[in-house]
Amino acid sequence: MKKLFVIEKIKTLSYPSFISLIVIHFILFLIVTLVINRIQFSAPGFSIHDLYKFPNVFKFIPWIASWFNIFLAIIIILLVGNEFTYRTFKQNVIDGLERTDLILGKLIVIFSIAIYSLVLVTISSLIFGFINTKDVYFGLIFQNSNILIVYFIQAIAYMSLGMLFALLFKNNALSIILFLLYSFPTEPIIRSFFSENIRQYFPIKIISNLTPKPEIFNLQQSANFHSPSGDNFINIQGMNIVPEQLSLQSTTVIAIAYILFFITISIFIMKKRNL
Amino acid sequence: MKHILQINNLCKNYNNIKAINNISLTVKKNEVYGLLGPNGSGKTTTLGVILDVLKANGGNYKWFDNNKSSRHKIGSLLETPNFYPYLTLYENLKIVATIKNAPEKDIIYSLGVTNLLTRKHSKFSNLSLGMKQRLALASTLIGNPEVLVLDEPTNGLDPEGITDVRNIIKAEAAKGKTIILASHILDEVEKVCSHVGILKSGKLIANGKVKELLNSNDLLYLNSENNETLLKLIKKSDMVSNIVETKPEIIITLNNNYKASDFNEYAFNNGVILNTILTKQVSLEKQFLELVK
Repeated sequence: MKKLFVIEKIKTLSYPSFISLIVIHFILFLIVTLVINRIQFSAPGFSIHDLYKFPNVFKFIPWIASWFNIFLAIIIILLVGNEFTYRTFKQNVIDGLERTDLILGKLIVIFSIAIYSLVLVTISSLIFGFINTKDVYFGLIFQNSNILIVYFIQAIAYMSLGMLFALLFKNNALSIILFLLYSFPTEPIIRSFFSENIRQYFPIKIISNLTPKPEIFNLQQSANFHSPSGDNFINIQGMNIVPEQLSLQSTTVIAIAYILFFITISIFIMKKRNL
Repeated sequence: MKHILQINNLCKNYNNIKAINNISLTVKKNEVYGLLGPNGSGKTTTLGVILDVLKANGGNYKWFDNNKSSRHKIGSLLETPNFYPYLTLYENLKIVATIKNAPEKDIIYSLGVTNLLTRKHSKFSNLSLGMKQRLALASTLIGNPEVLVLDEPTNGLDPEGITDVRNIIKAEAAKGKTIILASHILDEVEKVCSHVGILKSGKLIANGKVKELLNSNDLLYLNSENNETLLKLIKKSDMVSNIVETKPEIIITLNNNYKASDFNEYAFNNGVILNTILTKQVSLEKQFLELVK
């Protein structure tokens, strides 16, 4: 495993686009969280700034970070796709790596990126929490912090799915387009043909439901919008904005199962394919 | 362990095309085994299968009597060099060294042997084709492997580079390494290899020592007072593998182990006195073309 870590470190950290994309991810995330923090919006009993206070900040910041998980998945797609473009997967096998090692190496990269993202979210949450919370005590700081682990799993899940797309299609552009199209609108359209009970188990649905909604959406109990005349009806539940019936624990377990499934399929593909 | 590589009835198809068709061969320790054949004969496909890059459709192969840790004992160059274009030569070879658990000093050694030491910090994308090929050869030497598998190693090299590569191969062979060399260049195989397998359309049509298979059997130009009688005698003989009737001579090729003097004696004993018995060497190219036609 240490050998694979060294190999992936050389491959990944020296790849110019990787550094650029991580920096872009970092900057975008910070800009978005800062901009939202500057929004002056309040309603009776609610203010945007409440979302940046302990313990709400540990739900809100991961929720914002989850918007960028697809970006992380695209980074993985590029890293895997390049191995096919440069034919270096083939060369690595010729040099003596096992085919399984090729996938394990990319999993090391996925975990490393997920750790980076987790650290970013954790530090951001702590900083915003300390700035915006007046009376801070130890118990308050770590309330809801379990969401960070769930966010970590979500990041891994998106990236594992991205890796699978890259292995299936090999071409970077095609893999990215198909991944984005699958995430939205393909899976939502497919889901719409199934009942509520089955719909909630689809992979993108499960993965996106891992990060909790902001409290503001709890005001919309029926999760519907109506026009002032009451004529128009938009169901926002089907748009992955409002989580549904499964508990966070169940959702997490199913997400982990999906991660293992994506990895297993990836290993199967790599073992059977001509390189 | 005598056999470095055993291949049994290996088959590989690409849709309906049989790229390799029931190939069986053995490579022994310390041999320099040439896999010779025209383009499209299945050389690269065979190497791809035994290096686990391609999946066979039938048959099997065994390295070092199936020792699981054997992959690191093999240094390979297959088709075009595949490296990370954004990494330097040193970084690319560092990856190879890490895979093979080889020390970093091997990187310096292999770059030195292939005359790339001054370019070790250059990016792979900035290299010429010849330099890329040399880097590929350098990567095969990392870890001091017991076996080198080289697919057209002189591709893209200038004459000086070709000579350098052949000298490297000979030097590595002299160290006791087993070398498997795929090439369509007859001269290369003849100069470097001890054994050869000749492929044609995916089949192994000849296999053995270079000196036996590609031995430049001499042509004999014969003339006598009665060429008709001579011709009948030639046709009856077991010594002759090929006959070409021309005027004024009859040209024959003798089978292995027979010399011109043997045929002269045979003719004399059967009442035919040869006026002319002239020996000429067949070119290696003609020999090879004869085998693969």
